[in-house]
Amino acid sequence: MGEASEGAVEAPFDVVMDPVTLEVCWNRLIGIVNEQAAALQRTSFTSVVREAGDLSAGVFDRRGWMVAQAVTGTPGHINSMALAQRHFLAAYPLERLRPGDVLITNDPWKTSGHLNDVTISTPIFRGEECVAFFASTCHAIDIGGHVLSAEAREVYEEGLFIPIMKLYEAGKPNETLTSLIRANTRAPEMVLGDFHAQIAGGNVGGQRLLEFMDEFGLERLEPLADEIIGRTERAMRESIAGLRPGAYEYAITSDGFDEPITIKARCEVKGDELWIDYAGSSHASRRGINVVMNYTLAYTTYGVKVIVSPDVPNNEGAFRPVRITAPEGSILNVKHPAPVAARHVVGHFLPHVVAGALSQALPDSVMAEGAANIWGVQVAGKDLAGRPFTYIFFTSGGTGARATKDGLSSTAFPSGVLGTPAEVIESLSPLLIEKKELRSGSGGAGKYRGGLGQTIQFRVRTREPFVCSILCDRTRTPAQGFFGGLPGATGQVLINGRPPANPKAEQVLSPDAVVEIRLPGGGGYGRPEARDPELARRDLREGYVAARLDRPGGRP
Amino acid sequence: MQIRKPDPSYRLGVDIGGTFTDLVIIDEASGAVRVGKLLTTPKDPAQGVETGVVRLLEEMGVAPRAVGSLIHGTTLATNALIERKGARTGLITTRGFRDALEIGREGRYDMYDLFIDPPAPLAPRHLRREVDERLLADGSVKTPLDEGAARQVVSELLAEGVEGVAVCLLHAYRNPAHELRLGKLLREMAPSLPVSSSSGVVPEIREYERASTTVANVYVMPLMARYVEDLERKLADLGIGGQLYIMLSSGGIALPEMAKRVPIRLVESGPAAGALAAARAARLAGEPRLLSFDMGGTTAKACVIDGGEPLVAREFEVARADRFKKGSGLPIRVPVIEMIEIGAGGGSVARVDRLGLLKVGPDSAGADPGPACYALGGREPTVTDADLLLGYLDPDFFLGGLMRLDVEAARRAVAERVAAPLGLDLTEAAWGIHRVVNENMAAAARIHGIERGKDLRAYPLFAFGGAGPVHAWEIGKILKVPCVLLPFGAGAISAFGLLTAPLAFDFVRTAPQQLDQAQWEGVNRLYVEMEAEGRRILAAAGVTGSAVGIRRTAEMRYVGQGHEVEVPVPLGPLGRESLETLTQNFETAYRALYGRTAQGVAIEALNWRLVVSGPPYEIRMEGGGVRATTGGRPDALKRRRSAYFAEAGEFIETPVYDRYRLAPGATIEGPAIVEERESTAVIGPGGRVRVDESLMLRVELPR
Repeated sequence: MGEASEGAVEAPFDVVMDPVTLEVCWNRLIGIVNEQAAALQRTSFTSVVREAGDLSAGVFDRRGWMVAQAVTGTPGHINSMALAQRHFLAAYPLERLRPGDVLITNDPWKTSGHLNDVTISTPIFRGEECVAFFASTCHAIDIGGHVLSAEAREVYEEGLFIPIMKLYEAGKPNETLTSLIRANTRAPEMVLGDFHAQIAGGNVGGQRLLEFMDEFGLERLEPLADEIIGRTERAMRESIAGLRPGAYEYAITSDGFDEPITIKARCEVKGDELWIDYAGSSHASRRGINVVMNYTLAYTTYGVKVIVSPDVPNNEGAFRPVRITAPEGSILNVKHPAPVAARHVVGHFLPHVVAGALSQALPDSVMAEGAANIWGVQVAGKDLAGRPFTYIFFTSGGTGARATKDGLSSTAFPSGVLGTPAEVIESLSPLLIEKKELRSGSGGAGKYRGGLGQTIQFRVRTREPFVCSILCDRTRTPAQGFFGGLPGATGQVLINGRPPANPKAEQVLSPDAVVEIRLPGGGGYGRPEARDPELARRDLREGYVAARLDRPGGRP
Repeated sequence: MQIRKPDPSYRLGVDIGGTFTDLVIIDEASGAVRVGKLLTTPKDPAQGVETGVVRLLEEMGVAPRAVGSLIHGTTLATNALIERKGARTGLITTRGFRDALEIGREGRYDMYDLFIDPPAPLAPRHLRREVDERLLADGSVKTPLDEGAARQVVSELLAEGVEGVAVCLLHAYRNPAHELRLGKLLREMAPSLPVSSSSGVVPEIREYERASTTVANVYVMPLMARYVEDLERKLADLGIGGQLYIMLSSGGIALPEMAKRVPIRLVESGPAAGALAAARAARLAGEPRLLSFDMGGTTAKACVIDGGEPLVAREFEVARADRFKKGSGLPIRVPVIEMIEIGAGGGSVARVDRLGLLKVGPDSAGADPGPACYALGGREPTVTDADLLLGYLDPDFFLGGLMRLDVEAARRAVAERVAAPLGLDLTEAAWGIHRVVNENMAAAARIHGIERGKDLRAYPLFAFGGAGPVHAWEIGKILKVPCVLLPFGAGAISAFGLLTAPLAFDFVRTAPQQLDQAQWEGVNRLYVEMEAEGRRILAAAGVTGSAVGIRRTAEMRYVGQGHEVEVPVPLGPLGRESLETLTQNFETAYRALYGRTAQGVAIEALNWRLVVSGPPYEIRMEGGGVRATTGGRPDALKRRRSAYFAEAGEFIETPVYDRYRLAPGATIEGPAIVEERESTAVIGPGGRVRVDESLMLRVELPR
């Protein structure tokens, strides 16, 4: 509060307020965080960060408000990192920070919802004074405990929990903490390597920020931040005020781990604010598919933004007019020590619930329900030479149809994590991919058709039984269409052609087993009768929909 | 007058761009150069080349038979991909994988836009067929090719009326046998049908990218074959007996046969030529490094030159759905000079956004209607309008006076759409547009630099293109570069670049090997193969023996990593004794990029690469050359006009110089404006300019 009113530093900023200089300064800040992210990716030791883009990076002012974020990254990280900085400041107020300090935590409740995501924040000093923070969140390849799965019953089983601590103190590494981390992960070189990458990114960003402040004669970031955040907030409020007033409800059913889960939202347009409440959602699960409030906030604001104001920048100002609440102890606001490792399985539904509610206020801007969560396939066993292996890959089903277009086939939404080529999988593991094809007919019919899911069939070249665990969902309840669009196909897991009792559970399979996963399709948008006949013909010609044998032109 | 040698001694460069076809001819004996420019003839591009060549030879008084070689760059292949005007293309894949081309990487290229679409595959699903066969990741055959069924598949595709077929089988980069067999079968059944196999075009791991590249190659094959044959015929009819070479996107040149067989390697060859010109300038100026910066009407391109060579990337995208968004195009895995392209050019439109801020680009008014000052109906204010209002451009000397600019129209557009909504006066608004577009370009260049581990503060800015020299001064200041270099003939730089390209071709084979337990005989066999093939191609162009340069590299990484580093590989047979050198080379390259190495982790090589090249052409332009045709009169000052400079905070009377009268050794103090036909250089107060031997302006920035 106090900073903004310190008169002494106000004066130079009159210059900043002209819209051209402001645009230039803002551009510079975005450029600086992009440099931070580029340096991070360039020095990273893991492909998760480099290729799949499982990271985020941003700059914060002294109050812990996010001013700018890098263009790369995945939504669950960005928005939860934006919230994390306040927790850092609460634990270490400005007066307890010194040049050369670096803060770290993977507290799921304060950052992005599971222990694998590590947030590192570097305070930047101009002389003796802290002027900003550069933070980043990256997915650590291993954090000990269970390998990434929903099996744990408490967060204690899920790996090493690092409370907010100093990883560096006045430039000196915290050897105690580093040794602890080293001893608690299966891949210490990669994990610590990526910490260094995050720090390197923060250093590059900090150095550039100081040069920028010198060049423009800025003593403090806050006045610039206020201007940026203020304009963003006003634009966001304008967008919300343009929505049809009212309260809109929507609910989605997820498979859950062993029993179905309801995710229910009520979105109320209150003038220029949007209030979203998840009352009526299921109670926390006993398995690790629970979501912490921070992650709920992250994917909810993302879901609002893509519909209401995709053209407004993503910073503190974009979050303010949206109030999000979830009952304590519900699956969307779990308390410690609930297990949370596979929180994305439920979290990825949130933008779809928001879309379902807001479709009533802004029908032309939404996407129908889609496959939602990205599927993870983890296989462990021994190869033909008897060497142990473990391998994981991610893959996506179809998105919902849009108000003006078909859905996207086999495309991740809301996640930003990419798939892995079959040739790469087979080069790095004894898996043999026998099929990876679009799932004909899996997109929900509609004026616009839902995106198609895909079918992946594989076996393992092994002489011994192997373990297979598939983090999946939508095997019971399909993605619903909007405005008369039909639902997409449900997902399926088949072992030797038969569905297992619980598709999410770890399966021990015989060496010759064939695993087939059929990813869900997206829901349609609008009534199927309204579909453009030309598009319908194309769908038949390309086999996007199953040909009907009783119709002329249908191919068997 | 020079005495001309009777032997063929002229090199001719021809670059077909979207709007203009640029030509440049050089007398290799004297260094005399002449430049030509005419509108591209999109319906029959070879026609425009013919017209331009005839005109240039006449102007230069050169007989067609005196042209020893003609080097040609073209965007035809790129345009066919962007406009989707290629062949009806079929694809044959391994059973279970025909959709790899459509599923792609499963990502979205814009996280916040729900309405994006990936580009549709060039081979639609009903023209993608599967055959029974299977290789394993080590290249061994798991299931042999079912030839009977394959014939059936080929018949079906032929019945569908395909005009070309791509073959992309799983793991064919390790073992091309099944693809070769299918190719043979296709030739038997349809002898004249264009066919490419993935192992022939891009033998590299990753089925989506490999299929995308192979399909794109087939897609442009018929078109490019027709074009090259037509061009060869036209040149022969003109009596030009010299060899025709085609510019590749990698910066090398190759014989026309290559353009017919692997036309995908021609995409982006125009911008590549520009980067080569920058590289040449770097060598001439004794600068090992440069930031090449090409700003035209619609876009700006930046490219890092290091050690006198542009950086070469292994992959890029063509035909992006959103031109400036990574991931929105078709991935093409061929070597290409690496550059960043952003939506910032003379035609970039300025507007006020929802947040009340000034934005410039990436949308462009293009050439039609163009900037408001073109008076062709454009009402939106553009960068060119701002530059005009700031006094940088002369309304009566745009394109050498070819086109008159309407100052009043520019004033109206900037006043109504920028100044009024932002509450700025006209000059503040015009300066704002200039400043914002400069910031955009500088930011893009900086990221391009850091993604490659380069600090641009050590790189002189080499600016060309119609708008480059207008903006170089400010961009140079923002990037804090050591100096700004403004080459002579900024409008035809790409054509100059063509003349300097060496005859070069590169090969790649994928054969993953962990270095400490590598099967060296296999690797050596691959290298022998690649080198023999390369020497064969060069020999056809008359380059043999010790004139052939060989460079070998491998893409290596620590076992378990996902990205590779390119590492030099020594010549000669490799064996166990090579381990130490290769390890050292890898660690050196790795440290340069990442600042550290990993201890105790095994190293593996994925791809083995070889480049064969002929000797580089160092063209000499000094001496007679340009000066002889332009004169070197001492009084180059044309007039003075009022121009705005931020350093002064106001309009100041600024001397305007005639570029064609600035002789080597001349010096100028900023503020100054230097005009040539196709571009205008702006130098701010405090700048010091010296004209060097190649007529380049060397601009020192105030520290």
